[in-house]
Amino acid sequence: MASSSSYSNPPCAACKFLRRKCLPGCIFAPYFPPEEPQKFANVHKIFGASNVSKLLNEILPHQREDAVNSLAYEAEARLKDPVYGCVGAISVLQRQVLHLQKELDATNADLMRYTGSETSYLNQMTAQFGRMGRGGGGASFNPNSGFPDATYSSQWNNDSNSSEHGGNGGM
Amino acid sequence: MTLKGGTGQACAACKYQRRRCASDCPLAPFFPADQPKMFQNAHKLFGVSNILKILKQLDPSQKVIAMKSIKYQANMRDKYPVYGCLVEIQQLSYQIQMAEEELQAILAQLAYYRQRHQQQEISSASDSLSQLQLGMGPPGNALTLLHQDNPTYDVMTALPIVPHATYSNHGNPGYNTEYLEAKENNVVDSLWIQQPYSNSNNDNNSMVMQSQLSMAQPLSVQQETAQDYDEIYPFFDTIDDRQSYIDSKEVSESSLKDTRQSVEQLAENELKSAAACFSLTSVN
Repeated sequence: MASSSSYSNPPCAACKFLRRKCLPGCIFAPYFPPEEPQKFANVHKIFGASNVSKLLNEILPHQREDAVNSLAYEAEARLKDPVYGCVGAISVLQRQVLHLQKELDATNADLMRYTGSETSYLNQMTAQFGRMGRGGGGASFNPNSGFPDATYSSQWNNDSNSSEHGGNGGM
Repeated sequence: MTLKGGTGQACAACKYQRRRCASDCPLAPFFPADQPKMFQNAHKLFGVSNILKILKQLDPSQKVIAMKSIKYQANMRDKYPVYGCLVEIQQLSYQIQMAEEELQAILAQLAYYRQRHQQQEISSASDSLSQLQLGMGPPGNALTLLHQDNPTYDVMTALPIVPHATYSNHGNPGYNTEYLEAKENNVVDSLWIQQPYSNSNNDNNSMVMQSQLSMAQPLSVQQETAQDYDEIYPFFDTIDDRQSYIDSKEVSESSLKDTRQSVEQLAENELKSAAACFSLTSVN
């Protein structure tokens, strides 16, 4: 029996990597084009194809592309930095935010010396409202409400002496 | 029931996998039995084998931090299935952008006020110099001693000079405060004493200044009342006691002219009172 002579799409990067037939309903095909093999390779190495498949099946179709891109980003970050992964970037950004906030406070204090109360008061109120928006997790996301079972808050802190210990035996 | 080495409870990882939790279980330190959800999230995103693969290549000291980051990442993915950690990254990037814009705006304002302040200093220095040259400076040495040469004009401490009289008249303290700053310099210039005289080394000066303050207060209240009426008059258009404002305004305007003429005379009186206070102080 001859194989189907009808033109079939080339296998997606996932099926090519996994060396399997890329079926028409392949869940990876729309998001892992064959031109980007490294993308799936990274994702598979860190998360595993079955995990990614399960995750994508739980998400609405129009959100899957964003989910795949975020997974690809996290996988690449974890490969570059096995210890911190993408959380390293979060740590850097949090430090930048703190630094800027301190700088803002200092500059506002300087401004108060000249203007007295009026202008710098308005600036401070604006700043406070702005910080409230950030702290309350504006927009549509609220990452600052802690995870219920997390042992640490969403404020990533990597310089604390963790109460967890790797154990002497470890791996 | 799985046991850890015969005694103790199995870790969340072994419990989930329904297997015996060995004493050297690599995941036991990171997934305590009382936090099953944490392991479920990590298992859902990474899988046990992938977590172990990551840990395998790390030093023991790095494993703790790595597990923290893995758990954080898994929890974020559980909370935000589509974007995961990118939510936090985007939020922080936005905060940074806003903060930087805010900082630029405030720095621009600061530069403007600094420049204005410098210009004021230069103009006040040239004014006093020209006054001295024309011989129209304040008479005597007492006032010059009392007038502190403080380069930073502190508006906040200047306000209490006329605290309550005007407030009770108008009931609009915020407006009065703003107006006070503008007018105080022009009208009550020779009487103006900057507040931080507590820094002065001379206690006698402070006593003298207090007496001046008490004398100046009713005078400045009257002046401020006059000026404020001019400004807030349209604001009170709908108030019934408008007539009383008009009457007091007329009185205040005439008294203002008298006040200006008596400024020089007052200066002399102040010298005399200063001397009197000085003598009283020295007795005490």
